[in-house]
Amino acid sequence: MRNFFLKLRRRRDMERDVETELAFHREMAAAHGNPIPMGNTTVLKEQARDLWRFALAENLWRDVVYGARSLRRSPALVITALLSLGLGIGINTGIFSMAVEFLFSEPSVTDARSVVSVKIGGNSHSSKEIVDFVRASGLFQDVVGENEETYINWDDGAETRQIFSVQLTKNYFTVLGGPMAYGRGILPQDPDEVVVLSDRFWRTRLSGDPAAVGRAIRLDGRSYTVVGILPANYRTLIGFGFSPDVYVPRYLDDTILAIYARLKPGMTIGQARAGLLTVAERMDKAMPAPYKYVEGTQVAAIAGMERIKSETEMQTVGLFFGMLLVVVGLVLMIACVNVASLLLARGSARRQELAIRLSLGAGRGRLFQQLLVESAWLALLGTALGLILREAMATAVGRYQPPLPIPIRLHMALDWRVTLYAILLATFATVACGLLPAWRSIRQSIAPNLRREGRMRMQRALVVAQLTLSMVVLTASVLFLRNLLRANAISPGFDVRHTLYADVNLPPRAYRDVQRKRVYVDAALRELTALPAVESAAAARVIPFTAATRFMIGIKLPDTGKQVHAFFYWNAVSPDYFRTMGIPIGRGRTFLPVEGAATHAVIVNRAFAERYLPDRDALGRSFLWGDIREPYVVVGIVAGTKNFSIGEDDQPQLYEDLASIANDRTQMQFVVRSATPPGTQIQAVRAALRRVEPDAGLEVATLYSSIGLAFLPSQVGAALLGGLGALGLLLAALGLYGVMVYTVSRRIREIGVRLALGADRRNITGMILASAAKLILIGSAAGLLCAFFLVKPLAMFLVPGLRPSDPVSFVAVAVLLAVTGLAAAWGPARRAAAVDPMTSLRYE
Amino acid sequence: MAKSDSPMLLQGTLDLLILHALQRGPLHGYSIAQTIHLLSDQALKVEEGSLYPALYRLELDGAIAAQWGVSENNRKAKYYEITKRGKKLLAAEQETWNRLSLGVQRVLERQP
Repeated sequence: MRNFFLKLRRRRDMERDVETELAFHREMAAAHGNPIPMGNTTVLKEQARDLWRFALAENLWRDVVYGARSLRRSPALVITALLSLGLGIGINTGIFSMAVEFLFSEPSVTDARSVVSVKIGGNSHSSKEIVDFVRASGLFQDVVGENEETYINWDDGAETRQIFSVQLTKNYFTVLGGPMAYGRGILPQDPDEVVVLSDRFWRTRLSGDPAAVGRAIRLDGRSYTVVGILPANYRTLIGFGFSPDVYVPRYLDDTILAIYARLKPGMTIGQARAGLLTVAERMDKAMPAPYKYVEGTQVAAIAGMERIKSETEMQTVGLFFGMLLVVVGLVLMIACVNVASLLLARGSARRQELAIRLSLGAGRGRLFQQLLVESAWLALLGTALGLILREAMATAVGRYQPPLPIPIRLHMALDWRVTLYAILLATFATVACGLLPAWRSIRQSIAPNLRREGRMRMQRALVVAQLTLSMVVLTASVLFLRNLLRANAISPGFDVRHTLYADVNLPPRAYRDVQRKRVYVDAALRELTALPAVESAAAARVIPFTAATRFMIGIKLPDTGKQVHAFFYWNAVSPDYFRTMGIPIGRGRTFLPVEGAATHAVIVNRAFAERYLPDRDALGRSFLWGDIREPYVVVGIVAGTKNFSIGEDDQPQLYEDLASIANDRTQMQFVVRSATPPGTQIQAVRAALRRVEPDAGLEVATLYSSIGLAFLPSQVGAALLGGLGALGLLLAALGLYGVMVYTVSRRIREIGVRLALGADRRNITGMILASAAKLILIGSAAGLLCAFFLVKPLAMFLVPGLRPSDPVSFVAVAVLLAVTGLAAAWGPARRAAAVDPMTSLRYE
Repeated sequence: MAKSDSPMLLQGTLDLLILHALQRGPLHGYSIAQTIHLLSDQALKVEEGSLYPALYRLELDGAIAAQWGVSENNRKAKYYEITKRGKKLLAAEQETWNRLSLGVQRVLERQP
C-alpha cells in the first residue's frame, strides 16, 4: 500500500518535473533565437508516464486485442503451440482430476464431514448385534451398516447371473441421505424385498427405462421391488470408483457389516472416539467374545485429508499420483520449452517491429507486457484445449471397467480443485513460455549488437533443458516397461495356459447344510470331468489371485516340543487340485478320496516345511493346530504358488481336504484343466454347472484372465508412463528439430562458402549432425544425473529385483534419446547438404 | 517531420549522440541538443519530441543519471550525467556504428 502512494506522489512530481524541464527548454530556445518547436507537452508527459509504468492497466486491454491480432497472423506457430500446451495441460489436469477422484472425492451422502467409519475390536466388519448395540448406545445421531462384498444371483428370465450387491441396514439411505436419480432410497419401514439400482446396472441391464421404478426383479430366487435408481455420478462410501450393481436390505443372517455413523451436531471425531471406548467397555461386559471389543476401536473420517492420514492404502495411492504428477509436470515443462523456442524464433522476426515501437517511445515495460499477453493468450487457449482433452479422458475413463472382479466406475469431475489447478497451470505456462522470449526480444531491440550469438546460445540451452527433462521422464517410463516385462515373466507357480475357473454362488437358503454342499461339489466334479476335452477338475475354497485367506495360528510340534506362531496362506481343495493347477507334488501324495477321520491330513508347500517344520523330515510329521485335539499330519509337500501379487516372495502355504472341513460358505470355486485352449471350454463348463444347479449364479473364465488383477498395477504403470515418455520424447524431438532447422538457416552462408571452397556434402551433413550430437550429449549427461536421483523413490512401485538405479535402464534411455535426436536432426542436416552455394552466397 | 531538412536520425543513433555529448560532463537537455547541433556543424537538429523521451529512457536504463541544478542563467534545470553503465553502452554502440557506417560507405564507394 505504501508503495502505491509513493508511486502516486512520484508520478505527480514527475509530471511537474517534465513541465518545468520543457518550460526551461523553450525559454532557452527562445533566448537563443531558435523557433519554439511545435512539440506537444501532453504527449511528452504521456510518454514519460508510460515509461514509468503507470498506465499498465489502461494499456492491458489494448495489448490483449493487439496480441490476439498479431497471433492470428502466424497460424503455424499458434497451432504448434496450442497442440503442445493443450496436450501438456490436458494430461496434467486429467491426472490431477483422477488423483482428486481417488484421494479427495466425497461420497454421495449429505454432509460427508459428519459421517465417520467405526471399527470395533479391530474388525473391519462386525455382527448385526454389535451394530445394534452401538446404535442403541445413543453415542451417535444414528448408525448404519453395510456389507459391500456380496454377490447376489439375478435371474433375468433367461439366465441367472452373479451381480455385485451391497447389503444394508434399512436405515442406510435415510441416515446418510444423498441423491437419487429416480424413485427413493430404502426406508426403515420397507419390506425386506426392495432394491435400489446403480445407474450402470439400470442402464446396461434394464435398458435405462425410468419406468423400472416399481417393477420387480428376481434376486436369489425372490421377487424384489425396485424403489430407486442412483444417479450416474453416485460415489460409494468406499470410494476408488467402486460401484456395485444393487443395494438390498441385509438378507443373510450371518452377514457381517462395516459400521458407519453420523456424528451428533458439534461432535468432533476425538469426542466420538472417547465415547466409543466406553460403549465398547460396556459391550465387553454385555456380550463377551473371544477378543476385547475395546481393543482396536476406531472412529475415522470417510473423506479428505483425515481419511488419507488414517489409511495406508490411500497413502500409497497418493504417492503414486504424486509421482505421476511430477512426471506429467515434466512433460508440460518440455511443451512449454517448445513454445518458448517458437516464440524466441518469432521474436527475432519481430525485431524490426519492436525497434520501431521503441523508437516511437514505447516503454520497455509496455512491450514486455504486450509480449507476455501474447503468451498468456496461448496459455489460455492451450488450457481450454487441455480441458477439452480432460473431458474426453473423463468420458473414456468413466466407461472403462478395469479387469477387476469388482465393478469400478470412475468420475473425473471438473470441480473447483481441478479448475484452480488449471488456472495455476495456465499461469505457469504463460510465464514459462513467455518470460524468456519477451525479455530476449526487448534486450535485442535495445542492444542489437548482442543479438545473434546470444539467441542461439539461449535456444540451445532450451533444447538441452528439454532433452534433460525428457531423459528423466523416459527413465521412469523405461523402468515401468521393464517392470511389466519382468512381472509378465514371473510364473505364478501354477498353470494359467490350460486352465479355467468357475465361481459358483449357490442359492444360500437351499444350501445351509454342509452335507448338501458336499453332494453338490461331487456332482459338479462328475459333470465337469465327463466333458470331452476336460482332463481333470477340482474344487477349491480359494483360487489364488482372486482371493486369499491367511491364518496366523500357534502350532505345536509334539516330537520336538517346539511351538511356533505360523503365518500362512490357507486353502481347502479337492484331491485333483494339484494335477489340475499344474502344481508339482514334490514328495508324498495328494488327498485320498476319503481321508481317515482320526487325523487331519494336510499338504504344505516347501516354504511352510522349511519355516515351521524344521529339524526333521516334514513329510509324515504331525503337529497340533491351536487348541484342536486331533493332530494334523503332513501327507504331501508341494511347490509354492504366488498368492496375491506376482512380485511377492515365497510364502508358507497349507492345504486342507475340502471334503473334511465344515464348509460354511455358499460360494464354490472350481478349476478345470482343458486339453484344448481353455477359452473354447467356457460354454461347456457353464452348461455342465448349470445342469447341476440351475439356480446358482455362475462366472466362468480362463484362469489367465482372472490373474489379470495381479498384472494390473504393472500394466497401468507401464501404459501411463510409457505413453508419457513417448510424448515427452516426441516434444523434445520437435524442439531439437526446430533448433536444427534454425541453425541451418543461420549458417547457410557459411555452408555455401564451405561448399564453394570444395567441402564434401557429406562433411556438411556430418557437421550439422555433430552440432546436434553435442546438444544431445550435454542433455543426456545432465538428464542421466538428474534421473539417477529422481527415479530412486520409484523402487516402491516396482517388482522386487528391479532396482531404479539399474544401469540397463539408463543405457536404454540414452540410446533411445540419441537415436531419436539424431533422427530429428537428420532432415535439417540433409537440407544443409543440399544447399546451392550460389544461392546461399546471395542470401541475406 | 518531413519539413525539417535535417536528416532523420536512425533508431538508436540518438542514444549514441546523447551519450557522446555527455562525455564532456553534466548537461541539461537544451545544451545536449545544442551540443549535438554544434558538433554536427549544424547538420543535425534534435527535436524536443525525440530528445526527452530518449533521455527518460536512458535514465531508466541507468545509462545516465539526472539531478536538478541551477543553470548558467540562474534557472532551475535538470542536469544529466553519464554513468559507468552508460559509458559501456556508449563504447558498444560506437563500435556498432563504426562498422555500420564503414560498411555503408564502402558499398556506396564502389560501383555495383
